Amino acid sequence: MPDLPELNPVIHGKLRLALLSLLSSVEEAEFTWLRSKTASTDGNLGAQLLKLEEAGYVAVEKKFVQRKPQTLYRMTESGREALTQYVHALKQLLGSAINA
Amino acid sequence: MSNVEEQELKDRLSIIESMIAEGRRTTESWGWTFLLWGVAYYFAIAWSALGSPAIAWPVTMIAASVLTGVIGSRISAKQPETTTGRAMAAIWIGMGISLFILMICLGMTGRLDLRISVAIIGAMLGASNAISSIILGWKMQFACAVVWWTAMVAALFTTENIAGIIFLVAIFFCQIVFGIYGMIAESRRNKARAGAQGAFHA
Repeated sequence: MPDLPELNPVIHGKLRLALLSLLSSVEEAEFTWLRSKTASTDGNLGAQLLKLEEAGYVAVEKKFVQRKPQTLYRMTESGREALTQYVHALKQLLGSAINA
Repeated sequence: MSNVEEQELKDRLSIIESMIAEGRRTTESWGWTFLLWGVAYYFAIAWSALGSPAIAWPVTMIAASVLTGVIGSRISAKQPETTTGRAMAAIWIGMGISLFILMICLGMTGRLDLRISVAIIGAMLGASNAISSIILGWKMQFACAVVWWTAMVAALFTTENIAGIIFLVAIFFCQIVFGIYGMIAESRRNKARAGAQGAFHA
C-alpha cells in the first residue's frame, strides 16, 4: 500500500485555505474584499495573511488609491504550486470517498 | 480514516471549490455604463441638431469616456482585478477607440453619411455586445447585439430620416432600457450573494 501524503499545515487552516483559494481565482485582491468574502475579523484575517506571506504563498503590496491606503494581496507561484499539491494530497487521502 | 476525519477533509475540498467559484463570480457592475453612454448619445444627437455637429460628437464622446474612467475607477477600487474584467475592458475600449477614430476621419473627409454611420455603429456595438454576452453568459445582452445588427441592416435600406429614427430607437432599447435592467439585475445579484456568505475561522 502506498504511503498516504501529509497535508501542508500552512494551507490546512480553514481561513488560510479559503484565502488561497480566493486568491487563486483573481489576479490580486484588496484586504477588505478578502474580509467580506471570508466574513472574518480584521485581526484574524491579518494574522492568517501574514502566515501565508511568511510561507511565501502570497505577496503583499501597499499603495495609495485616491489618497486612501490600500493593501493588495497576490498569490505567488509557490503558493499556487502548494495549493495544487494540497488538492492532490487531499484527493489521494479521500480516495474513493470523494464521490460518495 | 474515521468518519469525522473524512468529513473534515471533505469540508476542506468544499471550501476550495466554493471560494474559487466565489472569486470567479464577477461582482463588477456594467449596467451604469450602458445608461451613461445612452444618455451621451442622445446628448450628442441633440447638440448636433442644434447646430454644432462638428464638435458635438467628439466633445461628448471624450467627456463620456473620462466620466466612465472616473466612475469606473471609484466603483472598482475595492474589487479584485479579474481576467473577465480585463477582457470586458479590452473589448469596449478597443471598440470605442476604433469607432472614435473612424468617425472623426469620416467627418474630416466629408464622407459622414447618416445611414453609413448608423450601420458602422450598429455593426461595432453589435459585435461588442455579442462578444461580451458570450463571455459573461448574459443572454439578454445578446438580444442587444441582435437589435444593433438589425439597426445596421435596416439603416442601409432606408432613407436618412428613417435611419436616424432607427438609431434613436436602438439607443433607447440597447442603452437606456438595457442599462436600467442591468443595474437592477446586478443590484439583486449582489444583495443575494451578500446574504449567502458564511464566516471562516483559522
